[in-house]
Amino acid sequence: MTKMSDRLKIVFMLCVAFVTTGGQHFESKVAQLLQDETEDIKCFVELKDLTCFWEEEEERNDLQYTFTYSYENKNKMACVVSSLSLLASNKTVFFCKLPKTPFFTTLDVQVFRDGRMLYSRSLNAENYLFLDPPRNLTVLSSGKEGQLNVSWLPPLLKYMDDSMIYEVRYAVEGSNMGKVEVIKVSTMLVLLGLQSDTRYKVWVRVKPDGVAYKGYWSAWTEPVLGVTQPSDLDPLIMVLVLFIGLILCLLSMTVILSHHKFLLKKLWPDIPTPEHKFPGLFTVYKGDFKEWMSQNNSSMWGRSVQVYTEELPSPLEVLSEVSLTSHGTSQREERKPVEEDEEKESERSDSGLTDRWREPPQAHWLMEQLRALQENPQSLSQSLLVQSHDTYVTLNQNSQGDGEREVDDVFEETLPLQTLFTTTGTTSLSTSHSDLGSLQQSSGSGRLSSQSSFEYPNQTWPPKGPGYTYMAVADSGVSMDYSPMSSSRITELGRHRMYTNDYKNEIFLHKWPLFGEHNKSGSESCMGPVW
Amino acid sequence: MFHGSGLFALLLIVLEWTRPGLSSPLRPICDLRVLDHFIKEAWDAEAAMRACKDACSIATNFTVPLTRVDFDVWEAMNIEERAQEVQSGLHVLNEAISSLQASNQTDVLQSHIDASISNIASIRQVLRSLSIPEYVPPTSGGEDKEMQIVSSISELFQVHINFLRGKVRLLLANAPVCHQGVS
Repeated sequence: MTKMSDRLKIVFMLCVAFVTTGGQHFESKVAQLLQDETEDIKCFVELKDLTCFWEEEEERNDLQYTFTYSYENKNKMACVVSSLSLLASNKTVFFCKLPKTPFFTTLDVQVFRDGRMLYSRSLNAENYLFLDPPRNLTVLSSGKEGQLNVSWLPPLLKYMDDSMIYEVRYAVEGSNMGKVEVIKVSTMLVLLGLQSDTRYKVWVRVKPDGVAYKGYWSAWTEPVLGVTQPSDLDPLIMVLVLFIGLILCLLSMTVILSHHKFLLKKLWPDIPTPEHKFPGLFTVYKGDFKEWMSQNNSSMWGRSVQVYTEELPSPLEVLSEVSLTSHGTSQREERKPVEEDEEKESERSDSGLTDRWREPPQAHWLMEQLRALQENPQSLSQSLLVQSHDTYVTLNQNSQGDGEREVDDVFEETLPLQTLFTTTGTTSLSTSHSDLGSLQQSSGSGRLSSQSSFEYPNQTWPPKGPGYTYMAVADSGVSMDYSPMSSSRITELGRHRMYTNDYKNEIFLHKWPLFGEHNKSGSESCMGPVW
Repeated sequence: MFHGSGLFALLLIVLEWTRPGLSSPLRPICDLRVLDHFIKEAWDAEAAMRACKDACSIATNFTVPLTRVDFDVWEAMNIEERAQEVQSGLHVLNEAISSLQASNQTDVLQSHIDASISNIASIRQVLRSLSIPEYVPPTSGGEDKEMQIVSSISELFQVHINFLRGKVRLLLANAPVCHQGVS
């Protein structure tokens, strides 16, 4: 007996619970439709039972109402009107429930009060389904970051499982901004693009899809919380990235600092200046060449000889003659490197001088000088010194034949530049040209021709510059002196000379060491005469 | 004798080979989305007909099937009864809508009418694929299915959509062929 009574009690409790829950659902639906539905008499279908209700403000007794309905214009039937008090809004509604409403047919309902018709409505029941919210909503964190698995069960309805549409709403806990996802038929959804390590609230509601059945959106389910997976790798990756970045920065800094000069040179190349060849010219003397020359004469000469020994050809000094008539066109020749197999040293003088110097007696004098030099080389300097006071070598200007070329001009930096300046008025140059090593002599003519073809245009004065001593030896062709100082010389002197400074002539290449000594002596000797 | 039996065997073989061809059984179309597509088009037609009220009025009456579904009653019916109800209803609807084709209608309405007729034919094919019995005209002694009479084209198409949504869909949703193997 006790067992039976217990069982009965349990069953009774379950029934009450079911009814109350159903009632809760019913009440909530009524309340929701009161707000949403615009019709006077509102109807909805819940579990195949059609309920029509209306609101009444005044205090009325439910017995005053008469509710009639009919299907397809057939015989009318009456329904018992009930009243319901809504606790939330403190309103009273009157409703009538039609159990097992036929679908897909027209239903006409009418409400009468005191003989007068209050409301009338014609509807198809299958178009006003009001479903219960989905059941068993579960939110689980999926294995991946920023994702949540949401699943639920559809409301219990026969024949309608495949014609339902769901709406999933999710928002960060505490936030009011929610997103909505619509899904058809399927009862599970994966939410993507969520923040990691965040708590989310999820709601779901259901509605007939509108093809076979139509209806209202159900109420939202109770929110279910879900937590997304925290991003595990992010801090580690960030630390690693920072570390590697730091190392790369250090490496690049080291490379840049170690090669900063090179890089600077590449990015901001220096403008070449001739500063290094003229120490102090720009800094101390501010470009005043005269001053600089006067101060740095001796040091410069001695230095430059050694510096340019390899670069420059043998010096060719030609001293311009002040006056030919006084000394009978005395000539002066400078030594120049002569090839060793030459027995005679040839003395050449630049024939860039004017025509007036071309006189046979000069050639004869030249030969005498040559012989003297051969016999006594060491006295050359002295002799030159002696002679430098008075005379200068005039160079034979004849340029005849193919093989015979006259002297080339050699510029040596040891030219007495100051004499240059002082004698600007004169046409003749104070620079001395030392004839290049001529290989052959033609004693008869007095011209000394060299195997290497020296060619120069007639009546041109070789440009000379203090910074340059080079051999205008050329096998062929004409070269232009592009040195800045020499070009200034050219402009200053007003004459140009084309010559080659191509040192292809092997004869003179091994004469450099010798030449240096000669040059020295020669240059020193040249400094003597003053115009 | 021997020739006779040989000829007979040969005849059997030939007859077997050329037997009157029943159409090979179609693959069952269990997906309700096919029917939902037709229902959507029927919705469009019903909306179009509902919109035109004056131009679509016709004097004649249409005999159309009943669309009402009582779930208790429906669940009590067996598959053959349901099939018969659906097939007869489709037949009647087809006749009613086909009668509209002759009358002068606008192009839009005509397209709806043509679509409805072709859809009914397609639904018949779907039912055939599900091995649902074909329509059998009632014999002289048998009961005729209940019908209703409508007097307007909009009502006709309302009946059309309700019939498709209701009985036809319920029949397809619970076709035995589709639920084989499902517990």
